[in-house]
Amino acid sequence: MEVKLRIRRFNPEKDQKPWWGEYTLKDVEKTNSILELLHRVKWEQDGTLTLRRSCAHGVCGSDAMRINGVNRLACKVLIQTLNADRTIQVEPILGLKVVKDLVVDFEPFFEHYRSVMPYFVAATSTPTDGRERKQSPEDRARFDDTTKCILCACCTTSCPSFWASGEYVGPAAIVAAHRFIFDSRDGAAADRLNIMAEPGGVWRCRTIFNCTPACPRDIEVTRAIGEVKLAIQRGVR
Amino acid sequence: MTTLVTTISETLRYRGKIGQWSWALHRLAGLGVVLFLVLHVIDTSWAAFYPEQYAKAIAEYQSPLFTVGEFVLVAALVYHAINGLRIAYLDYQPHLWRYQRQAAYIVFGVTVLILIPTFAVMGSHVADFWEGDPEVPGIVDIAETQVQFLIGFIVIVAAALVLSFLVSLVFRESEHGDKSPRRPSQIDVWLWSFMRWSGVLILPLVFGHILMIHMIGSVFEITAADATVVGTTAANDTGTAVEFVGERWDHLVAGVAVWRLYDGALLALVVIHGFNGLRYVINDYFHGRVVNRALNWVVLFGGAALIILGMAALIAGVEEAAYEIALDKSGLRDAAITWLGG
Repeated sequence: MEVKLRIRRFNPEKDQKPWWGEYTLKDVEKTNSILELLHRVKWEQDGTLTLRRSCAHGVCGSDAMRINGVNRLACKVLIQTLNADRTIQVEPILGLKVVKDLVVDFEPFFEHYRSVMPYFVAATSTPTDGRERKQSPEDRARFDDTTKCILCACCTTSCPSFWASGEYVGPAAIVAAHRFIFDSRDGAAADRLNIMAEPGGVWRCRTIFNCTPACPRDIEVTRAIGEVKLAIQRGVR
Repeated sequence: MTTLVTTISETLRYRGKIGQWSWALHRLAGLGVVLFLVLHVIDTSWAAFYPEQYAKAIAEYQSPLFTVGEFVLVAALVYHAINGLRIAYLDYQPHLWRYQRQAAYIVFGVTVLILIPTFAVMGSHVADFWEGDPEVPGIVDIAETQVQFLIGFIVIVAAALVLSFLVSLVFRESEHGDKSPRRPSQIDVWLWSFMRWSGVLILPLVFGHILMIHMIGSVFEITAADATVVGTTAANDTGTAVEFVGERWDHLVAGVAVWRLYDGALLALVVIHGFNGLRYVINDYFHGRVVNRALNWVVLFGGAALIILGMAALIAGVEEAAYEIALDKSGLRDAAITWLGG
C-alpha cells in the first residue's frame, strides 16, 4: 500500500514560517503506526525531520501530535484506522512553542503541572507499624481514572481555552490535581482547590469536551475537571 | 493581535468534535445578543428620556435590514439559551459526560424545532406589514443613526485604553510584567454559578419577551394606532412606539406594574450575564496588561451604566405628553396616519 504524508515542517534557524512537506511511502502495512511512517521518512527520505519519541508503545507519552486535525499519540494510531486513500496530515500539537518540526517546548506545560502540587501530602503521621496507609477499595476507586495520566499533553493542547491563554493551567494539570484532591489519604486537598480556584484555574474551562476524546488513555478528563469545580464549591465528596 | 488571529484560525483548523463547534457558536451567539442588548437598552430608555429619537429608532427597526437582524437575533438567542442549558446541566452532573455529544445534537434539533414556528409567525408579521406598502427609513438614515453608536463605542474604548495606559505610566508597569494575581477568586466562583442559574432564570423571561414582542406583537404593530398593547388592556391611541412602551409600563395588575418588574428583572439578569460573558471572552483573547485592563473597565462600567440607564427609564416611565412629542417631532404623524388609515 502506498501512503502520502503531509508533515508540518519548521526549522527556526532556516525558515521564516512553517511549511508543509509531502512524502510518499511505498510498501506500507495497514498495521503500521504513524510513528513508524515518520521513522521511515526520517531514515529513508529526509534525515532532518525532527520528532520526539521514546517507548513507541503508548506508555511514555512522548509523541503527541496533531494527526488529521486531532491530537493523538503517533505510536498508537494505525494506518487501518485512518482513511489511507487520502493524504495523512501530521503537525505539532497546538499552544506550545514549536522548537523544530514536530517537537514543541513542554516547559510551560510542566510548569502548570508542578503548580498543582502533584505529589502526595500525608494527612496523618506515619503509621506506628511503619507500614502503608490503608485505603478501602472504594476510596481508591474514587480517583482511579486520573491516575492513568502519562503527561503527553494531548488534552491540554486540544483545549480552545488553553490555545487562547497559556495562563490556563489546562486539563492535564487539573487531572493531576484531581488525582490527589480525591485521595482519602492526602491532606492537601484544600491547598490544591485554592490553586484550582485561581484566575488561571478551572474556571477557564468552558466544558467544550475537546480534551476527553483527545486522551490516549481514555481518562474522563472533562468529568474530572467538572468534579474539581464542584469540589471548590461544595467540598470534596 | 497576531496571536489573536493565530488562535482563531488554528482553532478553526482543529477537528474537534461537535462540542468545539457548539462552543464557538455559543460564543458567537452570545456576542451577537450582547451587541443588540446594548442598543436595545439605550434606545428603549429613549422612550422615557428622548421620545422623538425613540420613534425614529423603531421606524428604523421596521426596515428590511433590521428585519434580517431580528431573525438572526432570535435564532442566536434560542440557540444560546438551549445550549446553555446543556452546559449548565453537564457542569452540575459531570458523570453524564458520555451523553454530551447526543445532547449537543439534541440542542440543534430543539433549536430548529423552536425556530420553525417562531420564524413562521414572525414572517407573517413581516408579510402583513409590507402588504400595506409602508415607507421605511433608507439605508443612509439607518447608517447615520447606527454610526453614532459605533463612534460612541470607539470613543469609550479609546478613552479606556488611554486611561489604562496613563495608569501604567503612573505605576511604571511593564506591559508583560506580572500576570493576574495568583490567589483564589471568590468572585469567579460566584460568577461561574451565576452564569448557570441566571441562564436558567433568563430563559423563561426572554422566551416570554420574544413571545409577546415578536410573535403576539411585532416591531410593526408597536406603531399601529388603536391596537391593543400586548400584555395590557390599553389601546395605543397615538400609534407611537413611545405610547406602546408607556402603556406597558403603566399597566397595573393588583396595583403592581408587572411589566416594569418583568423588564427590570430581565434587564439586570441579562446585562450581568451578558457582560460577564463578554469579560470571559476578553480575558481569553486580550492578554496585554493595558488593553486587558481597559476592556475590563469598559465591561464593568459599561454594564453598570446600562443597568442604571435601563432602571432609570423603568422608574421614570413615559409621560403622556411624550406620546404627542413623538408624534409631532419625528415627522411620523403623517406617515403613521397614512398607513394606519386602513
